[in-house]
Amino acid sequence: MKAMEKKKTSKTGRGVFHALRIFLGAVFLYASYDKILHPEVFAQAVYNYQILPDAAVNLVSLVLPWLELLLGLCLIFNFWLPGAILTGTVLLAIFMAALAFNQIRGLDIYCGCFSTSTEEGPADLWTVARDLAFFLIAVYLAVFVFFIRTAGVRKKDSTAAETIAE
Amino acid sequence: MKGHQSHPIQKAMWQVPALLFLAALIAVGVNHWRKDGIPLIGDWSAEARFSDAAGQSLVIDLDQARRLHEIQEAVFVDARSESLYRDGHIKGALNIPWQEVDRYFVEVMDRLDSEKAIITYCDGETCELSHELALFLREMGFENVRVLVNGWTVWKDAGLPVDASG
Repeated sequence: MKAMEKKKTSKTGRGVFHALRIFLGAVFLYASYDKILHPEVFAQAVYNYQILPDAAVNLVSLVLPWLELLLGLCLIFNFWLPGAILTGTVLLAIFMAALAFNQIRGLDIYCGCFSTSTEEGPADLWTVARDLAFFLIAVYLAVFVFFIRTAGVRKKDSTAAETIAE
Repeated sequence: MKGHQSHPIQKAMWQVPALLFLAALIAVGVNHWRKDGIPLIGDWSAEARFSDAAGQSLVIDLDQARRLHEIQEAVFVDARSESLYRDGHIKGALNIPWQEVDRYFVEVMDRLDSEKAIITYCDGETCELSHELALFLREMGFENVRVLVNGWTVWKDAGLPVDASG
């Protein structure tokens, strides 16, 4: 009975994990779309952050959207999850730091997070909070994939190992 | 399933660089083939940034701006907010805050002289407001519009005539 209960919770845990993984994947996909379409406008947004050296601005603004697209696909299709989740977590941490840094020094810039259009409005504390939420989801996914899943496997719980392992 | 399953952290160790490499490869490839690709290393100097659609630089240097101010052959337009304008601005400058450009433009329209040069400015090396405003004024039919980069700071620091109004 106890074992069944335990199994049930881990099943819910897995359900939450997969739901959040697909959600975060969709977020990354959505974020990549507009930037891939408008490289020049996105480069301007990256430049406006005033964080990267001029020479790196274009390269980063070209590669970043494609990286987001790949991460989105990996997360949604359950492919290369450890790598995708780790990269995603680090990216979201960097975004958050960049946003917070510019909030603190009072730079009034457009976020360039989901849209290259200036209609999205300037970045504000809400933008930082939104990124924090995504970051926490990514951290949860990372903890799950790097610690919880592996703990299950190590216990040699054969049923868990079978369902958990890819 | 493989008999020996490597730890997710080990997997991430090669998946992260693989994702970065793939993203860079796709990004550079797609950018190379698309029509609206951007240079991998961009020119983000002020001269290049503050230019019109044809790529012609709009930048005017402080010396030229000062001379035009002396002989009253230029109308200066402050693109910053009204409160900053009130705290201090280039002597005789008009105020068209970019955030509400339509409203303010109508207010000062009569005082813009299409015979004279129009010099827009804001504050900070990277402030884009003066540039946006300059392009807007161009569109409105004023041909001789220039941008004084980091205008308020360089003007003030050079000890040139300023004004404050309540």
